[in-house]
Amino acid sequence: MEGDKRRTKEDTWKSEELRKHLRTSEADSKNEDQKHREKKLQKEKSVYDTDTHKHERKDRGKSKERTKERERFKSSERDRDKMRERERRKEHQREEDRVRYKDKLHESSLEKERYSISKGRESNREQDKKHKRHEIKQIDTQDNLKSFEGRDKEHHRRRESRHHLEEEKKRSKERERRHTEKKDNDTKKSIDKFLAYKIEEVERVHKFQKDQELDKERERRHRENKEHSIRPGKERLSKERSHKHYEKDEEEKHKSKRSREGSSHRDREGQLADVYERVKSRENERTRRDLRNSEHKEEDKIQEQMSPQHVSRTVRDKGQLIEKEERDTRQEEMKNTRIYNSDTGFDDFSANYEDDFEDYEDDFEDDDKSGKERDAEENLSEIPFSRTSEIEEIRRAISAENDRICTSLPKKIENETKEPVMERQYPSVRNSYGGIFMDFQLANQRQSGRSMASKQKKRSSELLPLIDLDFSVSFSLLDLPPVNEYDMYIRNFGKMNTKQAYVQCNEDNLERDTQTEEVETLEKWTQHPGKSAIVSGGPTTNQDISVNGTPTPKIDSQRLTNFLRSACRVIAVLLEEDQVATEPRWQQRSRQTSLSISDSCFQLNTNQPFLHDRKVSCLHFSQVQRQTLLSVHGLPEKASVGLLNRKSIICVWNIWQPSSPQKVLICDSEVICCCFSPNKTTLVFAGTTDGSLLVWDLREDSRMRLQMMINGIDWTFRVPTFSTDGILLSVNHTSPILAVEPVSTSLYTDKNYGLLSLSYQEEMSGPPFQIASMDENGTLNMWVVIELRKVDLAGSQTDLGLVPGGKVKLVHSSTMELSNSLFPKDVHQRMPQTLTIKFLSSDPNHFIVGTNIGLVGHGTRNGLKVLPKLFRPQESRLRSISISAIDFFPFGKPLFLVGCSDGSIRLYQMTSEYPLMQWNDSTNGQPIIALQWALTRPAVFFVLDASSNIYIWDLLENDLLPVAKQTVPSENVVTMTLLGEPEKTNGLLGIVLAKESGQIDIQYVKKKWALPQPEECEKLHLVLLQSF
Amino acid sequence: MAATGELGPGRAPGNTYRLRPGLQQRFKSSTVKECIHTILMEKLANVEYVPEEMPQLTKSLSEMIKDRLKEEGFDRYKMVVQVVIGEQRGEGVNMAARCFWDADTDSYAHDVFMNDSLFCVVAAFGCFYY
Repeated sequence: MEGDKRRTKEDTWKSEELRKHLRTSEADSKNEDQKHREKKLQKEKSVYDTDTHKHERKDRGKSKERTKERERFKSSERDRDKMRERERRKEHQREEDRVRYKDKLHESSLEKERYSISKGRESNREQDKKHKRHEIKQIDTQDNLKSFEGRDKEHHRRRESRHHLEEEKKRSKERERRHTEKKDNDTKKSIDKFLAYKIEEVERVHKFQKDQELDKERERRHRENKEHSIRPGKERLSKERSHKHYEKDEEEKHKSKRSREGSSHRDREGQLADVYERVKSRENERTRRDLRNSEHKEEDKIQEQMSPQHVSRTVRDKGQLIEKEERDTRQEEMKNTRIYNSDTGFDDFSANYEDDFEDYEDDFEDDDKSGKERDAEENLSEIPFSRTSEIEEIRRAISAENDRICTSLPKKIENETKEPVMERQYPSVRNSYGGIFMDFQLANQRQSGRSMASKQKKRSSELLPLIDLDFSVSFSLLDLPPVNEYDMYIRNFGKMNTKQAYVQCNEDNLERDTQTEEVETLEKWTQHPGKSAIVSGGPTTNQDISVNGTPTPKIDSQRLTNFLRSACRVIAVLLEEDQVATEPRWQQRSRQTSLSISDSCFQLNTNQPFLHDRKVSCLHFSQVQRQTLLSVHGLPEKASVGLLNRKSIICVWNIWQPSSPQKVLICDSEVICCCFSPNKTTLVFAGTTDGSLLVWDLREDSRMRLQMMINGIDWTFRVPTFSTDGILLSVNHTSPILAVEPVSTSLYTDKNYGLLSLSYQEEMSGPPFQIASMDENGTLNMWVVIELRKVDLAGSQTDLGLVPGGKVKLVHSSTMELSNSLFPKDVHQRMPQTLTIKFLSSDPNHFIVGTNIGLVGHGTRNGLKVLPKLFRPQESRLRSISISAIDFFPFGKPLFLVGCSDGSIRLYQMTSEYPLMQWNDSTNGQPIIALQWALTRPAVFFVLDASSNIYIWDLLENDLLPVAKQTVPSENVVTMTLLGEPEKTNGLLGIVLAKESGQIDIQYVKKKWALPQPEECEKLHLVLLQSF
Repeated sequence: MAATGELGPGRAPGNTYRLRPGLQQRFKSSTVKECIHTILMEKLANVEYVPEEMPQLTKSLSEMIKDRLKEEGFDRYKMVVQVVIGEQRGEGVNMAARCFWDADTDSYAHDVFMNDSLFCVVAAFGCFYY
């Protein structure tokens, strides 16, 4: 239908031309064409499958119709176009065709195309089919189509039998025409042309597709529809037109038939063809039966209708062929070649096209019908091909019958002009009726489809407001990131049951280094000007240890020192004894004792260079260490060694080592008295004529002191550690110190003391003690001895008496004026002079003081009055007798001996003012220098007088006279002291004698005076009681 | 169509439409996904990617899944099943979908199956017929 719509004027023009052409052809050659066709059929024995059907009908009514139509046409149409057409006809139909086609060409190629487009499917198809058919007829041998003939032969035969005569006539006519035609056209040429034409048509079809867009007017459509489709209305317009239309109608019919036939040609549509044939036969029979009268008319009509088609077709075909020839020649010869090449596949080619066209034809016919039936609904639906064909056939048959019925035979001539109109009109009506009937299913479908569509539309229109359609968010269906190269590598090559565990790199391989070395530091000190041997020093040892880092063995250095010190003494003594044994001099001297009272004797080696010409003024044994002896050497009478010339010397001796003094102490002033510290022998105190008190600390390192090399032997001369000289002027002694005594502040017994002394031997903190110093004026000073914890090698600025590095100092404690407090007025008026002082060992608070008036004062440290205040001699008168020696009884009883310068000896008890015993004139008036109880025997004491006589008193044996008297022969004995160990009962008791020459002899007293006797104390007590 | 003709304009046509699926027939993504998953696991467990076989496989899979989903009884639902199978060669793939629909009733479910040689993405869309 669209194709129809798009038909343009050109198409109409074409069609008009065709019509003209047809008119011309119709006028003369309708019958001829038909005849010609029929002749062909007959000649070729129904080579024209398509035509056979037509011919059946045509043949039926040919005889009548032909005459009618001829008359009709001749009467009506020929009047107008007679001349032209005839002339042309006469000249040559082909020329006319050529002219026409040329015209067409001249008008425009578009026209053709549109023609092809519009009519397109129809006409082209028709043409194709026709051409094909022609080809089939002309090219293909009749053999090819014999199969079809076979089918159709039946009809043919039937019909042939009927129409034989007529056909023969036609044939003769057609032959004539053909001859004319053939003269012009060689059949072969025409074949070529046909082929070319077909291809051209193919081209046209393509063009047509291109040109489909062109708008076609409704009218044209109608017109063309009328023209091309079987529209009866058109035939109303005019006879001329009707002719044209006729022709076209015929063509269409022909087409449809042909299509039917074409379909029947094809095996697949054989059924349809069969059906069609059946229907046809039935119809024919019916018509024959019912309308035998009118058969002829019908058939004639049909044949009339058909025949012009053929004529026109052939004419047109020829024209087209000619045109194509020209075109071909004009344009390209390639086409021909192509055509020729395509000859082989030609049938299929054409057949395929036919198929397509048939479908379209179906559409058209449906459209036509629908257009007739319902003007509105043009585009609807496909009616099955078979059905449409049937319908058309039936419709025609019916219309023919109706015509016949309506038009009586006599009216034929009258109706001739009207008939075509009627034919066109009526069929339309009938067709519509028939269409309704036949197309019910289709219509039903169509209607249902439309109603469905409308329903859905309505539904959607109602639903859409209720529904919200929206765009969803986009769903991510798959997001597969690309695999990196490493994973890819691992996937491809790392599958072999391996797994990457770790990565090894050299991150932890580090080195660290320092090139700077540590700075070594040492601390040193120096002193300038260097006063002693050590000018500089420092804690080198400690630092060495620390620097070297050598682990020092864990040594208790203190214990080691103690051990070494004691062991050293023992070893030294042993060596000394060995030396004595090997040296006869010492041995001889020890044996060579001149004294009757002694068993043996030996000398301390005072033959030292610094001791020459020095007089020993004092000897003192330690009460704790009995073997340690102090010897005080006074100033030399002639200068010997320059340095020591003006210095007095104190030597510390160990009597077991008589070869040399242990230590040598020096001081600037002359020493009068000295003593050891009470608890240990580490301190030496000395009083000088200057009134200064000196302290030596024997523990001091020898290196700190002055060292001198004398005769190949190193001697260390120790200066006092502390000196009160020049300090403490307010309290210090202003006169020579006559006595120095240690005072223990705590009570002690000898035994305990001995043990304690050992235990405290080297310790800094022993039991505290004081030192009492008394000068000529009776001033008694008490000093506290303090040991410093810290050694200051640089010297102290506050303790001016302390030597640098010294650890011991004296602090003044108290001062006592003995002359005022101790003596009564009468005694005091005599200005007594205190000479010696002794402290009671059992009660250190008590002391007794010897004076130069023969009296012994008794006092206490705390100033309390005690009785007896004075110890008086037996004679009550006061004499100027100086008390030279006082000695306490060492065995516990409060007894003491007093030796006087008049030679008298008195034995006092602490509780009585007067002596227990008094021995006058025992020394023949010689002053007593020294007097001392024997340390081992309580009843024995020794006395030395100024004439170097030694007296031994044994009170148990004789309480009136000394038991022995020994005079030291060689030289004067300056002083004497006793050596002995009261704790031991070995009876060793020695007398140390210091001679004027400076020699010190030690005499071991004979055993009878040395060994203690049993219960000697009790006997002594009895003796004393008796004497009292 | 005869029915609509009978209904005529007089009646309220709105009442006859089902605008929402029943609660039981609603398109449930989880169950659909499960269906897809089971089918994929069953059919693709040991499948190697062979380019020639894949078109057939995708078609059969989609048909299978569609039929399976029809059994689920999503009444009045139009099912669209899309199956994409690709080879695993390390390339990145990104697939997305976007729909113009009624979000109240329509839904979709998808599942991905992957093995060493291929990946398969199945998306099933359910659109409700009103």
